[in-house]
Amino acid sequence: MATMKFYCDAERCIECNACVTACKNEHEIPWGVNRRRVVTIKDGEHGERSLSVACMHCGDAPCAAVCPVDCFYTTDDGVVLHDKDICIGCGYCFYACPFGAPQFPENAAFSSRGKMDKCTFCAGGPEDDHSSDEYKKYGRNRLSEGKLPLCAEMCSTKALLAGDADMVSDIYRKRIINRGASVLDWGVNYDKAKLNS
Amino acid sequence: MLKQSLVRPVKHVLKNLSILVLLAFAVISQPTFGAENGGPEGVIIKDPGSELWRNVRQRQFAETNTQMKSVDANILIRTSGESWRNYRMNELIPRAGGALFLGLFGVFVFRLLRGRMNLPEGLSGRKILRFTLNQRVAHWCTAILFVVLGLTGLILLLGRKFLIPVFGSEGFSYIAVTAKVLHDYLGPAFAISLIFLFVLYVRDNLLSPKIDLQWLMKGGGLIGGHASSDRFNLGEKGWFWIAAIVGAAIVVSGLVLDFPIFGQTRETMEYYHFIHTVAATIMIVASFGHIYMGTIGVESTFEIMQTGYCDSNWAKEHHDLWYEKVKDSAINGESASSAVGSSQKESTDTA
Repeated sequence: MATMKFYCDAERCIECNACVTACKNEHEIPWGVNRRRVVTIKDGEHGERSLSVACMHCGDAPCAAVCPVDCFYTTDDGVVLHDKDICIGCGYCFYACPFGAPQFPENAAFSSRGKMDKCTFCAGGPEDDHSSDEYKKYGRNRLSEGKLPLCAEMCSTKALLAGDADMVSDIYRKRIINRGASVLDWGVNYDKAKLNS
Repeated sequence: MLKQSLVRPVKHVLKNLSILVLLAFAVISQPTFGAENGGPEGVIIKDPGSELWRNVRQRQFAETNTQMKSVDANILIRTSGESWRNYRMNELIPRAGGALFLGLFGVFVFRLLRGRMNLPEGLSGRKILRFTLNQRVAHWCTAILFVVLGLTGLILLLGRKFLIPVFGSEGFSYIAVTAKVLHDYLGPAFAISLIFLFVLYVRDNLLSPKIDLQWLMKGGGLIGGHASSDRFNLGEKGWFWIAAIVGAAIVVSGLVLDFPIFGQTRETMEYYHFIHTVAATIMIVASFGHIYMGTIGVESTFEIMQTGYCDSNWAKEHHDLWYEKVKDSAINGESASSAVGSSQKESTDTA
């Protein structure tokens, strides 16, 4: 049993938005719905940083707590998923979520909210793995094939990490040991830094 | 004064300190670059990570951009959602549930203590027009919409706790989605209906301090005895103004929540959700009293809103001052029931 987590290394993210595009393409996400987005802090100023953010698959997920129809569940891998057959599109999860992860297609009458859509950690939904129903509602199920979320797998600078929390934090810890808290503000003396991993 | 006297010595100390720091800097600032972590050794630099994470959590102002066009997309972490979660789960649901229970319990206890309020002289058979057709239509439109909106709202608020165990997750989903659609689509109709109700009823619901105070001192005849009143007593006026003012709050906040397409932020939605739920709880609890008094609580009351006519003895008992004004217009029971349809048109402006 693992606990899947994302982590975005702000020292590495170059705001290329490839994770956003990969996600949209992999899951055939409609216009206006953004399971993942890149936010840049202090764009064009000293100390500029970018972070890629999506559903963080919280341990005590606020969306699941406030849902009036109780459509959320957490998988054995610690991934927070929801059942679109039960979701009523009320938007409460969007109010409660700190990350702005829940998205709503405006496809119902009078532009009211459709059923909620969010990052699945590429783990599909409650339907049978790799069924066409699952793909239509939730997109690709990569986790069941032993693959990690596509956004992280194809990140060109390896800023976006995904996987078991322990492994992700191990990788990040090694980076910190090698480079210090920040490379962008100090500048690294590459001659003497130990770039061993 | 106090502030100034405090600031001055502090400023002094700061000045001295800054000189000290500068001196110290001059002594040790022979930076040896190329230390293990690549940073200058011997000089303490504020961890840039801490500033980054303060910005990420929006604890200090920093401009954030994103290519996404949706509302609030440039906010990375928003902590106020947690307060809304706590409000909804730990305050609203238990307190609203408790208030509803206490309201029903109060009506039940009142019934046990006071029993049905009957007319001491019985029915006279003579009828007086009390509500015009327009007034009755406005009342029943508002009333039916209110009951539907109230029930659907409560299903969405309390259903997870009480209905999922009964109907199962999928069964309740059908109920909840029906409730949501009804609630969303009938809300604006309730707003219009409430405006008509207000216009048609406001004249006789304006407070008349002397009569209303007397009515209040006598406990409104609820405990016993007789309290005189005009066309509407203070209790009815109270309900009218709750419907008007609390109802307006419900309607305005409801419309903001109903149409999430005008760029409302999540904070706006949470704020209006708070107003909507508090106001709706007040109105639902207050409605228990009105529904009880209008149906099984007082003899011969329900038929007045059905037919528009009240018995002259009912008017004498409950609204004596009004009865004195209109008693000459009383007609016989049979002609009243046949006149319900035809005489409405000319009498819409009376009463």
